[in-house]
Amino acid sequence: MKFDLSVLTGYWTSLASGFGSTVWLCMASGTTAIVLGIALAIGQRRGGRLLALLIRAYTAVTLGLPLLVLLYVMFFVLPDFGVLLPARFVGVATLAIYYAPYVAEAVNAAVTAVPAGTIEAGVAIGMSPLAITRKIVVPQALPLLLPTMTGLLIGLIKDSALLSVISVHEFMFAAKEVVSATYAPLEVYFVVALVYWAVTSLVTFSTRLWEQRLGRAHLSALPR
Amino acid sequence: MGFDPQVIRSLPFLIDGWLLTLELTLLGAAGSLVFGHLALALQLGRHAPLRWGARLYISFMRGTPSLVQLFVLFFALPLVGLGGKPMLAAALALGLNSGAYTAEILRGNLRVVTAGQVEAAVALGMPRWRIWSRIALPQVLSASLPALINEFTILLKTTPLASVVAVTELTYAGQMVIARTYTSTQVMLLVSIGYLAVALPVIHLARRTGRSIATRRLSAGVAS
Repeated sequence: MKFDLSVLTGYWTSLASGFGSTVWLCMASGTTAIVLGIALAIGQRRGGRLLALLIRAYTAVTLGLPLLVLLYVMFFVLPDFGVLLPARFVGVATLAIYYAPYVAEAVNAAVTAVPAGTIEAGVAIGMSPLAITRKIVVPQALPLLLPTMTGLLIGLIKDSALLSVISVHEFMFAAKEVVSATYAPLEVYFVVALVYWAVTSLVTFSTRLWEQRLGRAHLSALPR
Repeated sequence: MGFDPQVIRSLPFLIDGWLLTLELTLLGAAGSLVFGHLALALQLGRHAPLRWGARLYISFMRGTPSLVQLFVLFFALPLVGLGGKPMLAAALALGLNSGAYTAEILRGNLRVVTAGQVEAAVALGMPRWRIWSRIALPQVLSASLPALINEFTILLKTTPLASVVAVTELTYAGQMVIARTYTSTQVMLLVSIGYLAVALPVIHLARRTGRSIATRRLSAGVAS
């Protein structure tokens, strides 16, 4: 067995289309996870005790279960109850369900860290709750939230590779198809690893730039 | 809902899988500590190429999906004459992956070792490795304990990936029972309980350790 990348000639387009699906899947599940996570954070803060307890139980289950098991539960157990969904939908939903509690935790921590005095000042000058959220809480919480969210996004991108085991057509799945056509697993997976590495590095790098810009705005906005 | 007699008969098989999951987790944890320490030592060392190598290793392990890493390792091992050993590949992949995170956890806690302590040790004429093993390491390890326990649960949650290279750990054992008995709901319930039974106590332990270390530090600060 030797290492020869030229076996991949002619398969680049199918890898590229798989990669496109991965990007799409990550955007869909990431957005859903953020929406669900913010809803969970609000539920924990504003909801009653029963709702808070339910959210705690849900969080504990997702913290303790492997993503692959959750994926199998969604994929194999739901049909037992007569719910038949396309694999791609199950994949996006599972990733969102798995990541939402992490998003909720990050949002909660960031909002808690906003100095209470600034919110009280907003109330005192008669700002509406929406304006307080938009003009006081978000600008202060966002710089705190960004590093955690970057970590979660990278986790999501990496975990999306797992969707290939329930035969969702994404990057890893395309790679498996190329492997079965070329019998060159090492070369293919090596290239796949490099692509994932490039993408996650790009995400880290660009959010670090964004963080720096936000950090400057944050400092200049607050008189110290 | 009673359990299907077929599922009850396959319980020993699932328990074997559960034990294999624990074995994989422990092997991975051992590897994680070894590789983590090694990567940290190389990063703190005097040789620039070794430092870059350690950074590259950590960046690769954190930037690519564990699934891809497992495949690369699984298909690369035959090149060094270790082919056809899925358990070895899985344990090694888990250890290498988690080791990168362990190295970062330890590096993040290096600051608990104050310069004064190191200077005092140098003044006493302690050799470098003894300063490391007697002064730095115990403090760094105890400060890192909550994060390391947390990393242990992540490791546990990564073990199902071994099923893709046909290691019959809990998830794969569950899949095999489902294929035989067509009782996905009951089997996936048992599999989930198997993971939660380990993960939830460990998560609880991590929280408690974190809190007790924080209180100890607080009271020590008051005393001095």
